[in-house]
Amino acid sequence: MNLAAVGAIIRKDFAEFGRNRFFVFITIMVLVAWGVVYWFLPDTVQETVTIGVVSAELGDAAGGIGDVDAAGLGVVTFGSEAELRSAVEEGRDDVAAGIVFPDDFSGSIARGEAPTVTLFVPAGLPGDVEMLIEGLVGEVAYAMAGSAPPVDPITEAVVLGTDRVGEQTSMQQQMRPLLLVMVLMVETFALSALVSVEVQSRTVVAVLATPTRVGEFLAAKGIFGVGLALSEVVILGLIIGAFGTSPLLVLVMLLFGAIMATGFGLIAGAYGKDFLGTLLVAMLVMIPLMIPAFAALFPGSSPMWVKILPTYALVQGVINVTVDGSGWADIAPAVGLLAAWGVVVMAAGAGILRRRVAAL
Amino acid sequence: MSLTRVWHVFTREIRLSPRSPWVFFAIAMPLLMTFLLTSVFGSLFEASPRLGLVDEGSSAVTAAAQALEGVDVVLVSDVATLKRDVEAHDLDAGLVLPTGFDDSIAAGGHPDLAFYVSGESIASNRIILAVTTIELVRGVAGESPPVDVVVTSVGDENYVPIGDRLLPTMVYYAVIIAALFIPAAVLVDEREKRTLDAVLVTPTKMSEVLAGEGMFATLLAVVMGLATLALNDAFAGQPVLMTLILFIGAVMMTLVGLMLGLWAKDINTMYTAVKAGGIFVFLPAIFVLFPGLPQWIPKLVPTYYFLQPIYDIAIFGHTFGDVWPELLIAVVICIALVPILAALARWSERQLAMTV
Repeated sequence: MNLAAVGAIIRKDFAEFGRNRFFVFITIMVLVAWGVVYWFLPDTVQETVTIGVVSAELGDAAGGIGDVDAAGLGVVTFGSEAELRSAVEEGRDDVAAGIVFPDDFSGSIARGEAPTVTLFVPAGLPGDVEMLIEGLVGEVAYAMAGSAPPVDPITEAVVLGTDRVGEQTSMQQQMRPLLLVMVLMVETFALSALVSVEVQSRTVVAVLATPTRVGEFLAAKGIFGVGLALSEVVILGLIIGAFGTSPLLVLVMLLFGAIMATGFGLIAGAYGKDFLGTLLVAMLVMIPLMIPAFAALFPGSSPMWVKILPTYALVQGVINVTVDGSGWADIAPAVGLLAAWGVVVMAAGAGILRRRVAAL
Repeated sequence: MSLTRVWHVFTREIRLSPRSPWVFFAIAMPLLMTFLLTSVFGSLFEASPRLGLVDEGSSAVTAAAQALEGVDVVLVSDVATLKRDVEAHDLDAGLVLPTGFDDSIAAGGHPDLAFYVSGESIASNRIILAVTTIELVRGVAGESPPVDVVVTSVGDENYVPIGDRLLPTMVYYAVIIAALFIPAAVLVDEREKRTLDAVLVTPTKMSEVLAGEGMFATLLAVVMGLATLALNDAFAGQPVLMTLILFIGAVMMTLVGLMLGLWAKDINTMYTAVKAGGIFVFLPAIFVLFPGLPQWIPKLVPTYYFLQPIYDIAIFGHTFGDVWPELLIAVVICIALVPILAALARWSERQLAMTV
């Protein structure tokens, strides 16, 4: 292989890229925009439902609620109904809803009467939270009436898996792989557009009229594509803190991701007959590849068909490293799978583009 | 300007549309976005706690649980599957109701209850499901709490669920792709392939080409906007007003699309401009999603003046009397864009003449 020819094509592509100041500026701006979006996302998970309570007999009436304070329920006491109502309306002190116990609550219960408890519920309160509050009021009343619950799922609960209470994965952390994959996929399209233009305008034929061979042309496009995708995704990774405690490991995964994105870019570029044709092919490739990143936003395990998608290993790897602090040994299978996908897709892309170029 | 020639350009676009990938893209993308946003993100932001149930003895708790609103109840065949699903966080918690559970409760007993909690479930979901379980069991036991609960709604009566707040996003995609993206891409494509040169050597003028292509893009955008509103059942009984607003919005975006198509030197530049500018014109949809953000900011963006009226009518039942100020501003923006487009068209004609 003539490395000088490869180098010349890469230099030409970079020069074209660099000459287009608008393109460079916009690329930087998009990176900054994604970075800003990331930092606006919540970095913590609200695990506690905070309830405001008004009760002259707080020690007795609200005691039952206070007992479960550490298990996802927070209680804030207010001096008056008006204060509580105002707090609920304005969402002050993170109060999700309010409970007003009447003055003689315990006395009424003791006399066998059914006292009236007022709930202040803001618009849009989820049904499950309203159900919780009504249930809690009932349990306080039951407790004062001396009626213990027939079952006790609060204290007898068995936690399965690593208990993440207080250490839940934040929206920021969940979004990291999605942003990285999105940048890679956008670069898939950018490269495919670049390749498509060369094929459509037949400049590749002009290049191949020189001593440059197809293999060198493909190598140059591959190196340029990987370099472009990797540099952009690494910059975004730095902005959003995606390198965690194992920067080299994440860098390796991003490299394989960039190789894979470049391979898909070559495929889309080879098939696209014009800009929109290229866009459509790229979209057909990009949409399935985005699914693992979207799936990571949802709780629970992904179905098997998601796990076999090429970007799944990248998404899980980034999550495992940045959230769980996993190391090389923990995610070696994911890295291996990602590397295999990268090699296969790149080989397929190079093969398809080679045939396309040969047919010109 | 010859209306006949404008009509010819327009009908040419109509005739070519069935085999145009651009039109396919303009139709498919909004439908795909509607599906994704409603089915995926709607459930993501308003997820309910998920409770798995293994009922080994036809307990009445199961039927009561399935009737709950606010908790997603899933029946699981066996305990092993339940534990696996809970551990994988496919469920927030799992409950096993053994044989004879109801009889034991009815007899005043305290039967064993296996209640599994996923380590990844958030604490509030755990307490919600635990308290709900207690209430369900008490209900089966025939107990009712010795208290009357009065629920009083307070606060913002105009609260809109996240699913409804996604409406401007869906309308945005429907209008932007058809009205902005298509005319811009078609113009750039025609300039790159020099078919525009061929058209302009006939008596057809640039203004007639722009008018014909603009009409097609506007029509497609209005149709796709109406389809999106229909899919979301968002006409609010005012289809004529909605059509008018969509038309104004489509005209505005078509003018921008034509300007972009004339200005962009190639398809990559156009794509890059769409990629960058998209963030700006999408702002009003973002600010609807997050009503806590300062709401004066989206008013600086032209798309606000047709997206916001559509949202206000669909969600709050506003009428023309409420939204006419925004619509008037939208019309003024459209009128202001025309001379800019005309200037760009003249500039583009000179550029084409120089390169012939």
